[in-house]
Amino acid sequence: MNTIIRSPLAFAISAALATTALPASAQEDAVKIVQSKCLACHTEESHTKKNEGAPQWSRISHQRKTPEGWLMTIGRMQMMHGLQISDDERSAVVKYLADRQGLAPEETADYRYAMERRLDTMEAFDDSFFEEMCARCHSGARVGLQRRPAEEWEHLVHFHLGQWPSTEYQALARDRDWFPMAINDMVPKLAKMFPMDSDSWDHWQAAPKPEFVGQWSFAVHQPGRGDGSGLMTVTKQEGDQYSVSVDGQWADGTPLKGSGSAIVYTGFEWRAEIDLGGVITRQVLAASKDGMNLRGRVFEAAHDERGMEFTAAKATTGNSQIIAVYPQNLKAGESTEVTIVGAGLKGRVSMGNGVSIEKVLKRSYNSVTVLTKADADATTSANAVTVGGVNGGQFAVYKKVDSVKVQPAFTIARVGGNGGSTPKVQARFEAEAWGAGPDGQSGTDDDIRIGYLPANWHVEPFDEAAKADNDVHFAGRMDAASGVFTPGNAGPNPERRMSTNNAGNLKVVASVKDGDQTLQGDGQLIVTVQRWNDAPLP
Amino acid sequence: MNNKNKMRKTLRSLMAGAGIVGAALTSGYTYANGPALKAGQEYMVVANYPNQIHVLDLQTDSLLKTCKVPGAYGPGVLQVAPDKKTVYMLTNHYEDVYGINVDDCSISFHTTFSNKQKYLRTKSLFSMALSPDGKELYVMHNPTKLNRDHYRVQDSYLAVYNTADGKDAKPVRTFPAPRQVTVMATGKDGGLYMAGADIYKMDVKTGNYDVHLPSRNWERPLYVQPDVLNAWPIQTPSKDFTILYTTARFQDEKQDLATADWIYGYLNVDLETGETETTDFGPITEIYFTGMKSPKDPNLVYGVLNRLAKYDVKQQKLIKAAELDHSYYCIAMNHDGSKVYLGGTFDDVAIYDADSLEKLGNIKLPGGDMAISTSQIFVR
Repeated sequence: MNTIIRSPLAFAISAALATTALPASAQEDAVKIVQSKCLACHTEESHTKKNEGAPQWSRISHQRKTPEGWLMTIGRMQMMHGLQISDDERSAVVKYLADRQGLAPEETADYRYAMERRLDTMEAFDDSFFEEMCARCHSGARVGLQRRPAEEWEHLVHFHLGQWPSTEYQALARDRDWFPMAINDMVPKLAKMFPMDSDSWDHWQAAPKPEFVGQWSFAVHQPGRGDGSGLMTVTKQEGDQYSVSVDGQWADGTPLKGSGSAIVYTGFEWRAEIDLGGVITRQVLAASKDGMNLRGRVFEAAHDERGMEFTAAKATTGNSQIIAVYPQNLKAGESTEVTIVGAGLKGRVSMGNGVSIEKVLKRSYNSVTVLTKADADATTSANAVTVGGVNGGQFAVYKKVDSVKVQPAFTIARVGGNGGSTPKVQARFEAEAWGAGPDGQSGTDDDIRIGYLPANWHVEPFDEAAKADNDVHFAGRMDAASGVFTPGNAGPNPERRMSTNNAGNLKVVASVKDGDQTLQGDGQLIVTVQRWNDAPLP
Repeated sequence: MNNKNKMRKTLRSLMAGAGIVGAALTSGYTYANGPALKAGQEYMVVANYPNQIHVLDLQTDSLLKTCKVPGAYGPGVLQVAPDKKTVYMLTNHYEDVYGINVDDCSISFHTTFSNKQKYLRTKSLFSMALSPDGKELYVMHNPTKLNRDHYRVQDSYLAVYNTADGKDAKPVRTFPAPRQVTVMATGKDGGLYMAGADIYKMDVKTGNYDVHLPSRNWERPLYVQPDVLNAWPIQTPSKDFTILYTTARFQDEKQDLATADWIYGYLNVDLETGETETTDFGPITEIYFTGMKSPKDPNLVYGVLNRLAKYDVKQQKLIKAAELDHSYYCIAMNHDGSKVYLGGTFDDVAIYDADSLEKLGNIKLPGGDMAISTSQIFVR
């Protein structure tokens, strides 16, 4: 029954958003493609007032989705319903539908983690009915990134139970009259939560759209790697396609350079594929409505868990902002180079009380690097950083570290490799230092975030069961210096109790040295099995 | 309601795993040659990939023969006919039943539920039973109408087949039936017990049914709604139709889950008499996919998943548990109650002494994973 997961097509599909060229007269072509490929099953409908002039098709014209959502839909038509369509044709249809029937920026805001492939996100919904009926098998984001009228949500319920008949027998379904509840209660709820018609979408369609061409000053942060910054130059190609070049460096001076191409969907959804020094990466970014910022995640195409936070400011006249300051902190009495990244960074640099600027080492419109020194008697504080009149940066000075938190506090890694179809999925951790604040007590509201510090990493059994099963030995290895955990091989392991696989439940421990003291913080890592069904939206 | 939800959340990840598995396709098939079964002798049947039925000789605890079955595997639910010669298998992705004569591996019966002409795709989720005389086969149908651009889930119904109708059998009667029915069994009186939200009993002549033994809708003071899943219609030597449940019982009307007892129990229909039981047999310490009463001592209940466990029902106490080489889903016991046979998952049947729970051996099966097949023990 799991045809999706077995098909090589599934893997090809997840890679398809930024790679294929669109035909010149894209809109016309997309309509022709839909008419020639989709109308074997869908029917052409009479034009409505709202979509005057544009053709309407059954099902297709009554839903709004993200580019990933449309890609999944067409991919499913290929895998389950025999649709024959070339990659170029599919790209053209995805583009056409995402532009005409997409989501407004604010409609995506709560669920961007799904598009950004943050697959360790722990979703939590106040509405337990929504969680049990929808987010039990797949992410709630997959639902939250669609808009449909009630009739279409009802079709979706029928599709689910028809395609996966065990749905109504599973835990949290067999305790209730699942199908009548899905139809009578869930459908109206979804139509209200995620309606086809919305003011947001109407306004966004009418609004001026961001201009992507030009230079973007960017900053990145990758756990296990650190910070970097540079310039991303965007040049217009056909339609909403762009060529992209990236020129920057990591904090340690390693180049961060590459080039590639991008497509913009729905006026603000930026999807790029960039070759960064031989590693193919994807950018899933959203432009702010005013076109002055790009935000999201960049990750390796073959290993989406290896990703970086990405923030960019348009390097253009009138845009003055600070988007990043790194490193994030300085110990009293010590000095360091600090880089401030943003746009329009003119004027005097201030790092706040207790931190003096010894020298400006490097300066451009988009970044300033200064040599800073923290006063020997500086107390722990989180300072505002300004450059001239530009605010927005943060920098901590600290007397001593009072506590350490492991970030993320809970995450997963997945076994893989070993001749199987699915690679290992690593986990990455950072040690976040905190000061106790005025009350001298850690864990209270007045704690001061100092920020990330280098740590020495190891793992321990999380509980007695993990100890008895020797999870530390079998589940993988933690790199002591980087905080990167690489899980064990996939498959049953005859050396383990009941030949179980190399899953494990581990306590992740960070040891941070601060002067004479060493502080520890811990988090939890579940090493689990492969993600077999790896759809563009989880 | 809130307490029930908490209960469900605790259990949900544990029991959902018995879902639908993928399948390998067979390209053609041949009938295996092998000896016919001998009258009076005890056998076990179990199915595995790539869609085959194995007959095990329980006198020697060895593989006697293998019958290939057409189509794709899954779920591999087996029911042994009263003639102790024909084995019915729900297979081909939950859409076909084959009747196989295990003496010579020939096909005596076949039906496919789906109807391409009517754009109906129909599946049965483990729901198959035979009349006491073996003349009728009962299968729950869950149809979906595959319209050109949308699906419509249709009402579930019970389909009755004549087992004599051969290789292109069609239902001779159909009756409306509740959704969410999984396993079924027939009583001595011919009534059909269907385990769904509750255990219903249907008159297979009229289609009338009512609740015979409530589970989801039980009314047991201080108990939360039980969690019940069964995908293994085990034909027991004691003629018991046994389904495990998990539940919690509050100490008092304050309904504090923190102090509640967490309980394993079974719902039981005596297929000879129709008598019912709702019996707690012990605290929950681990999950069992299947369980059964001992044929020789009804006070003993066995359960299996990651361990094989034995409970004293009256004392509601775990007597003993055996560690296993790997998980097993489906339990079976021989008629004198001396041995436990574990099937399901992987490709070997493990044999345990029913008293000591010492392991007696394994029978390795040719082919692949049994997955969620039902194994059955019978005397020819």
